[in-house]
Amino acid sequence: MGNRVQQQVAFCIEALKKGSLKEGDLRQIDALADDSSKRQNILYLQVRRASLTSDVIGMSLFADSVFHDPPAEEQWPYRSVAAAMADGWRIIKFPEMALLLDEKRTYGFGWEFILEKWG
Amino acid sequence: MRTYDCEPTLTDADVMDFCREGHLVFEAVVPEEINQRTCDFLLHDEVTENLLEEDWFVDNVLLSPPVAGAVRSLLGRNFKLTMPFIFNHLSEEPQEAQGWHRDGSSHYGPELDSLQVFYYPQDTPQELGPTEILPGSHFLYGGFSAMEHYRNFKGVMSTAAPAGSIFVTAYPVWHRRGKSTSNGRRNLLKYWYTRTVPPLCDWITDPDLEMSHAFHRTAFNIDQRDAHRAMDDAAEMFYWLCGKHDEFRAWSSNLPVYYFESSETCSHCDNLVALPGRKVQR
Repeated sequence: MGNRVQQQVAFCIEALKKGSLKEGDLRQIDALADDSSKRQNILYLQVRRASLTSDVIGMSLFADSVFHDPPAEEQWPYRSVAAAMADGWRIIKFPEMALLLDEKRTYGFGWEFILEKWG
Repeated sequence: MRTYDCEPTLTDADVMDFCREGHLVFEAVVPEEINQRTCDFLLHDEVTENLLEEDWFVDNVLLSPPVAGAVRSLLGRNFKLTMPFIFNHLSEEPQEAQGWHRDGSSHYGPELDSLQVFYYPQDTPQELGPTEILPGSHFLYGGFSAMEHYRNFKGVMSTAAPAGSIFVTAYPVWHRRGKSTSNGRRNLLKYWYTRTVPPLCDWITDPDLEMSHAFHRTAFNIDQRDAHRAMDDAAEMFYWLCGKHDEFRAWSSNLPVYYFESSETCSHCDNLVALPGRKVQR
């Protein structure tokens, strides 16, 4: 989305310089910047260690308002949090380290990162 | 209260495996005639508990010799059949997978006072959504309501199996009904056994077994937890089952237990040392 907005802004600047800028050109920027039709998709990744490069050992995807069962483990799209980030996912929550400091009890499954992507 | 006794069938190694993984598999141990009779019963009688009045069911399913021998090994003499509770987790397929959960009143710890059982009276391939379990999760603390967003884990075990198969698990094991893709009706009978006597190392024992072997790493590789923590928890359960929980000392030291021990090679595995003079006292 960002690229298309930037392209339209560049187009408008050129049109302004040439004296050919029209109201519709500016309104097109507004339309491109409107992301109200986008929906937040959520990816939960549970990893073996707290590192971004650690192996993924669990995965859940919430997209289009429902949870989807990921494919079998060998077909998971990402092997690490870093790989998901490289594909455009943004981390919105890191593992709660403070809750994991009781050495006699492990809470939940692995170290959980929550990521988002709008689409 | 109905109790039962028989000869134990598990060895030290079997019990240690159970402590680590939290489940046992008995594939196709119930005769086909009994499976068919059970399916017919479930089709025509809405009160599943009535099965418990049927000797043919009790003798061949609840007291199936290989299963009863294993239960006897883990729960000791005169284990109790949790009558009148038996449930048919009937589902009409196809369906999406159920959410991961542990059953109500699960408690985490080394004690093993009960076992839960899954019995398939019919062939239950992947397409019919057999139960999935997460081996080793009986030590993995997780509140029921905190698990709802979980979907797929590395290391999940499907219980897809032929008719007459029985799965025995530690009660807190995480599990769910798997996704089904075909049309049909899946019967899954679920019931429990409980302990009536204190734990006493009451299985087929090796007199030369060193207790420290319970701490040693095996082929079973757990991903969701620190490996040493998982080994310690499994060893603690083994000590508890031996009636020696007061001797368990993993948490009173700051090194893995085997670091304190001699340089002798463990006679039960290849790569770690054993603790002399701490053989299991029978």
